[in-house]
Amino acid sequence: MKNSKLFWTITIFSFVLFGLFNLFRQGEAETPKVPAPPQVAIDSTKCIAPADSMRANHMQVLYKWRNSSVRTGHRVHVAANGSRFEKSLNTCLGCHDNKLFCFNCHMYANVKPKCWNCHLSPMETP
Amino acid sequence: MKKVIMPFVMVVVLAMTPYLAVHYAGLTYLFGVIIPYTAAVVLVLGVLWRLFNWLRRPVPFCIPTTCGQEKSFAWIKHDRIENPTNSLQAGIRVLTEVLFFRSLFRNTKAEWHKDANLAYGSHKWLWLGGLVFHWSLLIIVLRHARFFFVMVPGFVDFLDHADGFFDIILPTFYVTDALALAAVTFLFVRRLSDAKMRILSLPTDYFPLLLIGAIVVVGVLMRYVVRLDIMPVKDQMLRLVNFSFDAPGEIGTLFYVHLFLVSVLAIYFPFSKLMHAGAIFLSPTRNLANNSRIKRHINPWNKDIKFKTYSEYEDDYRDKMKKANLPLEKQ
Repeated sequence: MKNSKLFWTITIFSFVLFGLFNLFRQGEAETPKVPAPPQVAIDSTKCIAPADSMRANHMQVLYKWRNSSVRTGHRVHVAANGSRFEKSLNTCLGCHDNKLFCFNCHMYANVKPKCWNCHLSPMETP
Repeated sequence: MKKVIMPFVMVVVLAMTPYLAVHYAGLTYLFGVIIPYTAAVVLVLGVLWRLFNWLRRPVPFCIPTTCGQEKSFAWIKHDRIENPTNSLQAGIRVLTEVLFFRSLFRNTKAEWHKDANLAYGSHKWLWLGGLVFHWSLLIIVLRHARFFFVMVPGFVDFLDHADGFFDIILPTFYVTDALALAAVTFLFVRRLSDAKMRILSLPTDYFPLLLIGAIVVVGVLMRYVVRLDIMPVKDQMLRLVNFSFDAPGEIGTLFYVHLFLVSVLAIYFPFSKLMHAGAIFLSPTRNLANNSRIKRHINPWNKDIKFKTYSEYEDDYRDKMKKANLPLEKQ
């Protein structure tokens, strides 16, 4: 009696798991495998927003960039004044080329996002 | 129902106060400097006063509550932890109580069965919920050390990594956040779900739960939803631990709500049931060794009684007793 209950639980659970897996796989298949090449060249002459608001909100910007560029392939950021930027860490680091640019504050505040798990850290570039 | 709604309204009002005051009136100095310091002073002095007040009470008798075999003959197995005979064993008993809620593990539940029999069964949900709640809060509090130290202690870094073990979402999701929320919800619902518990529960039972729940919710909102700028927060916390009275920088309003609710908790702490944190170490029924058969315990404020022995009695009345021909032990 107990065994058959267990059997059915496992069966139903695996069906649900299989269904969910397929559901998400289909969603995955719809997005293009290769993101479209960016329409704008990396512009590192000006910042996308004033320094104060970047200091306070860069995490929101990078979070949105990550989601929109990786998941939907929108790789162009349109700033408030209408100028266009590629959504890339290189856009930031091209201008902020001090190796400790990120680390100064992030070490102080002890905030460790996992950027460098995938991206090349400025500390690792020659 | 009033005793649930009143604490709820109080927590909502307490959460709204700093929001309105900072957002509309700009009282950042009051909520960022004055109230936190006041709360810290009240917490430290209040706890010290409560502990001192308990410590100065005499504990004349040997009154530990035990539930194991007392030390006896060599061939009877002595339950060292449940029935401690020295202070080391009693200390271990207190520590296991504090760290693992040993006595709550024996929690039972009585209920009527279909055949109208009263049955007792093991009921470990409170133990589990309480343990998860307390440990999560401890880890969360220790994790906050990153706001109070320029160089974060190594074990805090370790806790941070262990807590973010699942490594999902940005910023890293902490397991303890979810566990603390789940546990505080369970503890709250537990009091509401049972008629007996509803009668037993008081506003002072609901208030700390709701307050801690609100603190966790605001903290979670700051971290995962609003993604508050953390630099001025760290500046401010470093100033506070360095006893500086400088005005705080531009910090998001939610931070003041969090800080104010924590301040309220700190002020509430010494005068409420939350003092069980100190009381558990000082309760004589737990921290004494059960050595009443080994050592004689004499009430220290007993007056010295003047005893008169028979030989003294005989000395006093020897002549009269001799006349009356009463037998004497000493002639």
